[in-house]
Amino acid sequence: MKLIEKAVEWGTRRSPWIIHFNAGACNGCDIEVVDAMTPRFDLERAGIIKQGSPRHADVLVCTGAVSLQIRDRLVQIYEQMPDPKFVVAVGACACSGGIFKDCYCVEGGIDAVIPVDVYVPGCAVRPEALIAAITQLLEKLEDKEERGRLLAAQKVKKEALAAVRENGGAEYGE
Amino acid sequence: MTKLLQILLFPGLLFLLAYATTMEFIDRKLYARLQSRQGPPWYQPIADFFKLIGKKTLIPAEANQRMFRAIPLFSLTAVATAFLYIPVWGRQAVVSFEGDMVVVLYLLALPALSSFLAGWYSRSLYATVGATRVLTQMFSYEVPLFLSVLAPTLLSGTWSLSGNMAFFSRHPLLVLLNLPAMVSMLISVQCKLERTPFDAPEAETEIVSGPLVEYGGRYLAFFHVAKDCEVTVLLSMFAALFLPFSMGTPWVDFLLYLLKTGLLLSLTCLVRAVTARLRINQIVSFCWRYLLPPALLQVVLNLMVRGWIL
Repeated sequence: MKLIEKAVEWGTRRSPWIIHFNAGACNGCDIEVVDAMTPRFDLERAGIIKQGSPRHADVLVCTGAVSLQIRDRLVQIYEQMPDPKFVVAVGACACSGGIFKDCYCVEGGIDAVIPVDVYVPGCAVRPEALIAAITQLLEKLEDKEERGRLLAAQKVKKEALAAVRENGGAEYGE
Repeated sequence: MTKLLQILLFPGLLFLLAYATTMEFIDRKLYARLQSRQGPPWYQPIADFFKLIGKKTLIPAEANQRMFRAIPLFSLTAVATAFLYIPVWGRQAVVSFEGDMVVVLYLLALPALSSFLAGWYSRSLYATVGATRVLTQMFSYEVPLFLSVLAPTLLSGTWSLSGNMAFFSRHPLLVLLNLPAMVSMLISVQCKLERTPFDAPEAETEIVSGPLVEYGGRYLAFFHVAKDCEVTVLLSMFAALFLPFSMGTPWVDFLLYLLKTGLLLSLTCLVRAVTARLRINQIVSFCWRYLLPPALLQVVLNLMVRGWIL
């Protein structure tokens, strides 16, 4: 039993499948995300594959400030991913809202809605920064303490999310 | 007892799983090299498998729960059973009887059907579109595939894979006669495996990933293993039918088998790397227009040779 758990943990570190989601970005970061997937950077070396379906993915690569329009969809996509799952916020807007912060139609950064594990600042980010972020996430997972902290923080945020949705979802639209 | 060990260990289930995993790695590595990049490390398919095994299982509320869980196993079981009829160690398969080729062909039709059912029972829009494409594609490649597989048997006069292997080992030159069917089968095998350019059912850029869109966790892992095994089994069958060169010593034949399937895999990988996806209607018309005539021609040719020469 112990051996299988170890193998699973090893596998989680060696094969992060990513899904890319645009939560309201200007498309600058999106192009950089696509850029990072090209043969030049060869992310398959680290086992990274881009998936289309959230059910297949482990890492949600999210760009842009969260607009009110996309907020519920972002939560939906996040909830469609099976655990364990991780979120990478790509770009200044995704980290904090960027220049759209406090705009009338913007909720804020990605972490205003779902738990974020890695922040990648930049406008737009460089593909190298994105690759460094994902490899850092994987290194974090290697350390047992860090891994526990990461998953615990996710859990707290997720419970808060569930509570908000249960309370009629006034805050999260119909 | 030896039979049971043969079925479970070598050259049965365990060997199939190990070899299929290796084949997937070679395929991905070669594909990466053809795109002039480094490609995944050797343990990548194993890491993917364990990662998927450890993920939480999510089943859509609208999906049929029981079928959703059972279908991936159907697929894997059918493919693993089909492998037993294919000669790997020497000229004789683990199990063989007169007419086992038909059984193998039907067992190999099951993965496509289970992929269709998986999409159908997922009750998702993308999955349903993918499922109908799987079925449409199946109706276009099955006829050329069946004809080209059964055409060589007109020469050998037996419907068993081991029997065919034995016959063509005795008359190696007759293999040259089967060239049209060989070409037809090589292409319809790629169509059956839903590899580019025939990957319209999966088409991740238009319908996400087709019938498997709602699958995740261990059920997706089973589907991936079944797919890898299907690649191995179909290429092994191709090798047994159209490249039946063997020396008679089991271990030499086994090495030859590895060589033949490896070469076939490289060939299909090359095709995958240099082509783009066809639309589903293009696939249907391609199969009926260009794959069926060589197969039919082969049947006529083999009948004539059988009547006049043999």
